[in-house]
Formats: sequence, structure tokens, C-alpha cells
Amino acid sequence: MSQSPPPERPVKIAAYVVGGLLALAALAVLLLPQLERVYAKGPANTGHETLGCADCHIKAPGTPRQQLQAKAQYWLGRREADAAFGHTSVGNPQCTKCHLRDSDSHPVHRFLEPRFADARADLGAQNCVSCHREHQGVRVTAPQTSCKSCHQELDVKNEPILNGPSHQQLVAQQAWTTCLGCHDFHGNHKRAAQKQFNDKYSESAVRDYLAGGASPYGHDMKFPAKKGSQ
Amino acid sequence: MPTPSTPTSSKRAFGKAAIWGGAFLLAAIYLFASRPLPLAEGQTAGRTIPVEKLFRILAAEQVAARTLWTAEIVNPGLQRGMKFDENWREADMQAGPLPALFLRETATAIQKTQVPLGLFLGSDYPIAQSNLFTGVQAAAFQKMRQTGEPQFFKATDIGQQSAMFADHVVAQGCATCHNEHPKSPKTDWKLKDIMGATTWSYPKDKVTLEEALQVIATLRASMGVVYDAYLTKVATFDQRPEIGEKWPRDGYFIPTRKVFLAEFEKRASAHTADRLIHILDDPTVSH
Repeated sequence: MSQSPPPERPVKIAAYVVGGLLALAALAVLLLPQLERVYAKGPANTGHETLGCADCHIKAPGTPRQQLQAKAQYWLGRREADAAFGHTSVGNPQCTKCHLRDSDSHPVHRFLEPRFADARADLGAQNCVSCHREHQGVRVTAPQTSCKSCHQELDVKNEPILNGPSHQQLVAQQAWTTCLGCHDFHGNHKRAAQKQFNDKYSESAVRDYLAGGASPYGHDMKFPAKKGSQ
Repeated sequence: MPTPSTPTSSKRAFGKAAIWGGAFLLAAIYLFASRPLPLAEGQTAGRTIPVEKLFRILAAEQVAARTLWTAEIVNPGLQRGMKFDENWREADMQAGPLPALFLRETATAIQKTQVPLGLFLGSDYPIAQSNLFTGVQAAAFQKMRQTGEPQFFKATDIGQQSAMFADHVVAQGCATCHNEHPKSPKTDWKLKDIMGATTWSYPKDKVTLEEALQVIATLRASMGVVYDAYLTKVATFDQRPEIGEKWPRDGYFIPTRKVFLAEFEKRASAHTADRLIHILDDPTVSH
């Protein structure tokens, strides 16, 4: 005479099936490149939607064991430089792979000049990712008033603004949200700064642009990015 | 009153200690056992030299290149009707880079390489206010004006070794152009004046000889990139100068990249090779 299975057995089988499916789903998320966005820290910044993780996150040299050993040696003072574990931190070379330009009105390397210590302390302006923090779903993460870090002593010869306050007056008024109304920070758009003060883009238009919205500067770029959209 | 320990609790404590001890032992083997090979630190072994010596070589190379550009391309070119302008990269501008821009473009080209060398140009009387020395550079520049000697210092926040070298008025054209520029804060420049300074930066205080050679080669290659960019721009001119063996002093000509760089090497290489050979005899060179 056969014994009937205990009543909890079907529940156990169902649990195994659900667990197995969950494990498969987790594996798929980890292994399928199409799904890598699922475990990204946050939404891609403007124009980076089509990039893969490996476009920016470069595998650190060595095996995990070598990396851990190197770290241990560094902590013990037996090695000069620390070693990255897993992936190297994302730096300017990863950004300039796509955003390399022959001319730029604020090239990031300029901020490595010793005298820009304040800009480095205030903004970390020597690193692209300080102003363009990734996985935020926006274009720029630095505040709209960042110009104040370097241009407090602005002295413009042959004042170009017509029918409005001079650059010096704007600085005296601490009107830092007006700067980007005429000036495109990297100067990568094919356009000239407005001469008439009233022609400047509104503060909200610039704010929306920094947040990933439409560009008031137009879409005609001097040096388009090599991958992704602008 | 403490509770006397029972044999069972002692066994349990011993077991825990054994597990922890084993875990530490495994971690120590994983972290410190001699295999696998240690991860390389990026600097190959060999003789090292203080980075100041490398900066001196680079500064001399830069002066040779910019003097060549100014005295053999810009000045005679202007006399032949060629144009050089600060906005030379603008699409509607049929011009080449002014001497200061030649340096700025070289600095940009260096940044596109993997070599972490920084090159900057500034002054206490700059045409563009963004080039005005402030902070540590202003202090170093004043000291250099007084002593006439290059200044070496460290940008401590980013750990960059820095060097500042005087930038002299090398041709009358430089003085005239700066004196007549509407945005110039100083209008009495004359030949041999210290018009400003170049600042160089590198993230190490010592470099291997191989690394030094690589940095020098990168500087030269970057100058070549700028000259190429000029030739590309020339190709868009309505009235294109002939590109070949001849120089602007011969007429409406400009030299090819090969001819320009060969002339540069003729002027700079002997000095650079001499410096490198002397470095080997220097007691500060580490073996």
C-alpha cells in the first residue's frame, strides 16, 4: 500500500520552482547586456541612454586576488599607489573618448593649473564627473551659479553688452544665474553670445536645459559627441 | 560571582576561536601569499630623475618651437599677407594661430594623449583675463621676475609637481601686437621683456628616463598635431599658400609638416640630447 505524500510537499515543490525562476531571472539580469540598465545606479544622463556600462566602467587591471593583495600592500605602506578593485573609477579619459574637442572655452584640463585651486575645491572642476555626475537622468548636476567660483573679479574690456547692465554690474549684483543665458559653458554650439541683454535666454530655460530639457543654444554642434546623442 | 565554565561552553568557545582563526589564516594566505604575481604599479624599473630636470628640457623644447613658429611662420607670413588670429578656429576665419595660441593648442593636444603632462600660459598683464596669474602662480611669477630663475612648486591639493619658466618677447612682432591689442592692459612691451610664463605640471616628483623620453616625444607629437591643424585650416583658404619645401620668407609659401618639424628638430634636439646625457652623470639620478 502506497503512502500518500505529506500535505506540505506541493508547497515545497512550488517554492523550489519559484526560487529557481527567481534565480534564473537574477542570472539573466546579471549576464544579459540588454538588461544591464536594470542594476545601474540610476537613469542615464542626457545623451547617454544608449551607452553600455563598459563604455565608462573599465575593468581594473589584474585578477580580484591581485587587486586585493595590492590593496593590502598599500594599506601596510608597502606599495606607493592604491589599486582599484573590480572597475577603475570613471575619469576624464572615459568622457573624452566621445567628447574630445579641438577647442573648448572651459576645457577640463585647464582647471589642473595650480591657480585654480578654489575652483577645484568648490566644484572639483578638473573632473568632468564633478559637474556631470552620472546616473542622475539630467545633463548637468553643478548649480547654475557655478561661474562665481572663478569670475568674481571679472574685468571685461570693451563691454560687449548693449542696452543692459555691464558684466561688472552683473557680478556686483551677484547675478550668476544670468551668465549661461548668453554663454554656452563649453562653447560647443555654433552660435555667438547675444549682444542685447534682453535677448538672453531665461533663467528657467537654462535650468531646464541643465536638467536635460531642450537646448536654448540650438543643436548645431562644433564637435559632436562620437557616440550617443547630444 | 562568575559562573564556572562547563566543559560544553569551553568546547563551544574553542570551536568559535578555531573558526575565526581559520578564517583569518585563509584571508592572510589569500592576501599575502606570494602567488599570484604582484600587480604592477605602472612605473617601469630603471634610473629615475627629478621631474625638475624634465621640466627644463620641455621648457627649452617649447621655446624652440614657439620661436620657430613666430619668427619663421607668423612674422614673415604676415608680411606676405597671411593672417594669424586668436579666433583662427572659427569657420569664417582664414587665419592661423597666433604664437600664444600655438602653445595653447599644443597643451590641448597633450591632454588628448595618455601622458599626464600639463602646460599653461599666463601673465600678470594678460590680454585674456582668464590668463591672469593668481594664488601660488602669482607668487611664483613675482619671485621669477625678481630672480630671473625658473620656479618649482607643488599644487598640493592635486599633488601635481609644477614648474614656471619665463616667457620672453622673442620678436618685435609680439611686442607690437600686444601693445596695439585693444584688450591689452599694458602697451609698452619691448624685446626681451618677460611677458608672462609657462607653467608645467606632472603628477610625479621623479620619472624614469624612459618616461622622460615618452613625455618629450609626446610634446613633440602634440606640436605636430597643431601644425597639422594649421595645414588643414590652410586648405580652406580662398588664397592658399603653396605647401612644400619653402618658407614664408621665400614668398607665399608654408612648409610641410615634415619640413617644419625637421627644422624644429635641428634647433632643439642637440640641446635636449645634451641635457639627457648630462643627466646620466648627475648624482641626483637614482639607480
